[in-house]
Amino acid sequence: MNGARSPKPAAPIFHRSKIDMFKDFLEGKPLGHPIHPMLVHFPIGFFVLSFLLDITTFVFPKASNLVLASFWAMLLGLVTAMLAALPGFADYSDIRRDHPGKRTATTHMTLNLMAVVVYAINLALRFSADVSLRVHFFPFLLSLAGVTLLFISGYLGGRLVYDDGIGVGRHKRHLPPPRDTIYLVPPIPGADAVFVPVMAAQQLRERETLRVEIDGQVMTMAKVDNQIFAFQEFCTHRFGPLSEGKFEGFNVQCPWHNSCFDVRTGEVTNGPAKINLKTFKVEVRESKVGILLSRETKSL
Amino acid sequence: MKWLLDILKGKWLGHPLHPIIVHLPMAMWPGALIFDLLSKWQIGGNAMVRLSFYAISFGLVASLLAVPTGVVDWTGIKKEKPAWKIGLYHMILNLLVALLFAINLGLRMQTFREATEVAGAPLVLSVIGTGLLIGSAYLGGRMTYHYGISVARMSKDEWREIAEAGGANLPPE
Repeated sequence: MNGARSPKPAAPIFHRSKIDMFKDFLEGKPLGHPIHPMLVHFPIGFFVLSFLLDITTFVFPKASNLVLASFWAMLLGLVTAMLAALPGFADYSDIRRDHPGKRTATTHMTLNLMAVVVYAINLALRFSADVSLRVHFFPFLLSLAGVTLLFISGYLGGRLVYDDGIGVGRHKRHLPPPRDTIYLVPPIPGADAVFVPVMAAQQLRERETLRVEIDGQVMTMAKVDNQIFAFQEFCTHRFGPLSEGKFEGFNVQCPWHNSCFDVRTGEVTNGPAKINLKTFKVEVRESKVGILLSRETKSL
Repeated sequence: MKWLLDILKGKWLGHPLHPIIVHLPMAMWPGALIFDLLSKWQIGGNAMVRLSFYAISFGLVASLLAVPTGVVDWTGIKKEKPAWKIGLYHMILNLLVALLFAINLGLRMQTFREATEVAGAPLVLSVIGTGLLIGSAYLGGRMTYHYGISVARMSKDEWREIAEAGGANLPPE
């Protein structure tokens, strides 16, 4: 950590409403681990178990109680699926609208809701059917459909974590990430240096961030110690989103692999990143906060 | 040998394999505890006792696949990283949990076909095993969600393109 240059700013006090605190809870911030990916083990496991028991009834038609066991596994699957949905919605609501993973997340959610409906029908059919030694054809078909939906959806959920980094490191941060990217166009294209006002920067709270794109340059604007800093959005290790990072003193920490950078200079203060960030000049002109974009910053 | 490592790392799937497979023991063993408790409360009768038995067996079979995929992911972590030590504890705990559930299953072998409620010793083993498993799974989750193990490992080229298009400073390829 590079705190020697100037005294470390005091950690701000975050005022959070009851709803915000409930959402923080659902996102697993007090636990230090997102809750949705924890709970999904159960519906996935129980639905698969139920399906395997169904198949077993065909292989061993004389074994008793398999149909009933399959029913119980499915019931527990449905209960835990509904438990997992709630924190899932909270996680979904915090994905930036133009995030590359947003569409995957929407598909993931839709498929899961479909699977829940399929299993609810399946359970209702099994509940009313006479207990027999072999599972009936239509409920079995529904189980096959349910497991298929679950596999695709689970795969997409995994891609959200391991490819898109959704939920990774989010619990380290107090404030929600930016909801959108702010796209701005410089007023005089091609000029040597242009001042681009960023209106939303005026309202930034301490340690809050904006994700801004000006003329193809994607940057994070953050308020630290009552000053606004701007630096490239992408970490120089595996390109994690710094606008979703954690602020500690004058450092921003990447949510993915914890690389730290000094927001004032862009210098790496902690690995695994080795390359410094590109920084942008923030100025106040006519009481408007904005970015001074110059030729050099573009060609750096 | 490298082809085997690549299969175990899930390169063919574009998704690490260990976190997929662990859903099964992670659901089966705490599930067995729930089924045990239900049978103790006279719900479900022999179907519940059997269900618990099948859940433990299925979890054990799945854990046979979870071990090699997990070890491969773990060997990819540098020893000086905090995640390496967490991974080590995660592994030791998991082996212990698997052993406890194997013993647990052995104790049920004779009785599960007829019994209508779980016996004392297997129930205790289910409680201990589930408790340890939850602790160990939390550590596994920390490796992903706190230390970013396997995150952006397979997608780093796509992210690089996005960062490059966004005018970022980039590390050498």
